[in-house]
Amino acid sequence: MVINPTYLAQRTRTSASWNDAKRRVLKSYREWLRAGPEIQQMYSLNIPVSAIRTKIRQEFERHRYVSQLQVVDMLLFQSHAEFQETLNYWKQLSHVLKYFRAEEDPTARLPRNFMQGFLEGRN
Amino acid sequence: MSLLRLSSHSCRRLFRPEITAGYNIRPFGRRHESQARTDPSNEPAPKSSPSEAPAAKAGDSSLITQEGPLEGVASHKPDYNAHVDHGTSSFSPVPKRVMDGSEPGEAVPAAVLSGAPLDLQARTVRIYRPAKTATQSGDWHGHHWRMDWDVLGKGHRWENPLIGWQSSADAMQGTHLNFKSKEDAILFAQKQGYEYFVQEPNVRKFVPKAYANNFVHTPGKLKVVRTK
Repeated sequence: MVINPTYLAQRTRTSASWNDAKRRVLKSYREWLRAGPEIQQMYSLNIPVSAIRTKIRQEFERHRYVSQLQVVDMLLFQSHAEFQETLNYWKQLSHVLKYFRAEEDPTARLPRNFMQGFLEGRN
Repeated sequence: MSLLRLSSHSCRRLFRPEITAGYNIRPFGRRHESQARTDPSNEPAPKSSPSEAPAAKAGDSSLITQEGPLEGVASHKPDYNAHVDHGTSSFSPVPKRVMDGSEPGEAVPAAVLSGAPLDLQARTVRIYRPAKTATQSGDWHGHHWRMDWDVLGKGHRWENPLIGWQSSADAMQGTHLNFKSKEDAILFAQKQGYEYFVQEPNVRKFVPKAYANNFVHTPGKLKVVRTK
């Protein structure tokens, strides 16, 4: 019996070396960037495509200095899972906007310094 | 078959140096074909180099500096530039260090992979052995190690205006993890990037006593005369 994989499904694999991982990461990054306008149109976001692409870049930069190859593999898998969920319209607006809390939600921020935190009465 | 033999005969005289050099034997009559098509690893030269990447580099601004060996040591100052994630709120504490996978060692940086909110890396965790129940003399509860989250200063608990029940902004309130040994608990806290401290258990002091020691002979005058 033939099992048809869902759209954008990818076969699970591990990276053979750091070069292989680098190529996979860049490929994944390009896919995300190219999907920027489609995400904006699909979820009717009021966010410009450039902001979406900046957010994608931010998320990739967050893990720039990971030192273990297996962790990179895991991150690639998670990134592709998110990609598939987003482009298959399996997510809802709230799931996509989770990434944009810093820009959209004024209460989602850390204080700039000790005094500001103290005056706000934060933990 | 015969054609092949003929061509190989003629080729052998012309291409002997190339055969010894290890190149592919080019078919006779296609000498001017470029190397590019037969070379499998030849890709077009990249139009940009990594040094031209748009990310800011160390020389660009005085705000960006390379971390020296002294700065790499764990600092106890809160990191106000930690990134904001889906769980950050006005009750979130400021983390001291957020795990980013670049830590040395073989331990899995689970904080990077788990998707847990970054608030958890800001909060302190206490590893202790729960005390024996004071009302009973059995100590079946005092053998494992427990990990507990310290309460938040603000947002720990308030009275809900609707009914008067207790509301909380603390996701880990009332949560604890049990471990078989102290080392397991410490490794877990390190793996998840938690700030932790270990509270050593109070060991009960027990003095072995024997009634017969009351009547042991002591030379000289007795300080305490035990008549009863």
